[in-house]
Amino acid sequence: MENFSALFAAAEPPPAAAAAVLPGPGTTELTGSTNLITHYNLEHAYNKFCGKKVKEKLSNFLPDLPGMIDLPGSHDSSSLRSLIEKPPICGSSFTPLTGAMLTGFRLHAGPLPEQCRLMHIQPPKKKNKHKHKQSRTQDPVPPETPSDSDHKKKKKKKEEDPERKRKKKEKKKKKNRHSPEHPGVGSSQASSSLR
Amino acid sequence: MAMAEKFDSLEEHLEKFVENIRQLGIIVSDFQPSSQTGLNQKLNFMVTGLQDIDKCRQQLHDISVPLEVFEYIDQGRNPQLYTKECLERALAKNEQVKGKIDTMKKFKSLLIQELTKVFPEDMAKYKAIRGEDPPP
Repeated sequence: MENFSALFAAAEPPPAAAAAVLPGPGTTELTGSTNLITHYNLEHAYNKFCGKKVKEKLSNFLPDLPGMIDLPGSHDSSSLRSLIEKPPICGSSFTPLTGAMLTGFRLHAGPLPEQCRLMHIQPPKKKNKHKHKQSRTQDPVPPETPSDSDHKKKKKKKEEDPERKRKKKEKKKKKNRHSPEHPGVGSSQASSSLR
Repeated sequence: MAMAEKFDSLEEHLEKFVENIRQLGIIVSDFQPSSQTGLNQKLNFMVTGLQDIDKCRQQLHDISVPLEVFEYIDQGRNPQLYTKECLERALAKNEQVKGKIDTMKKFKSLLIQELTKVFPEDMAKYKAIRGEDPPP
């Protein structure tokens, strides 16, 4: 962008006389001899995207989105391309689930097997870290949900690697506590309730 | 500013929807029977959440998204990189075309100069018809 002005400073408007006599090329039409970024008022956009470094990962663009979003969509069939190429066939209306339908969602108590455990990656919140840890061990649903979303909105940046490493350690601790092989309170409860 | 509001509304509904799913995941990952009511509520919120998102469609029906940006998202890359690369390519092409135009102008001017030396009368007629071109 430094040599922008230098490059386009010499550009002159086409001759009006020639246009009146014979329509020559490049008389009144917009050509590449004009700085088109300026012409279309995109200088601000140019400086915003090309002036500074744009971070590489999707999680830099959507820091509050839970899950491993930096993985390619093809890995877990979550690609947008597949959605466009093969749109799911569904009805035209959204009807709430009735009581009868909901009986299909009566679940067995106890922890999920390892392969199904996908949802422990939560949006990292620096300030609420303590609250989160406590609520996870005590209650399945964090009671501070309304304030969580407020905090999420207030929080703009996140520290990637150290935060994720910490979360992974917590996940590993929790996993060990709940695994069937591990002798502990959690697993004994699970084995008594499973039929 | 009305445009920004339309996007804000959709964004809010999407965030609420995602948060609901995340909480569903937490409940299910270690289910307790006492959580059944909460689970059912959240399942129904999924339906109403989708309804709300669907309602946003009307306001945004004129928005077009280039398909190429989906490639970036599917690869786990920041979609702003697509915008950045578009602008960079546009500028590069602009510079390239300007270079060609400038070179052609110089060539034209030189050609007229040399032709005037060899065919002065014809070139005088030509210039009278075409008018004077500015120097490159």
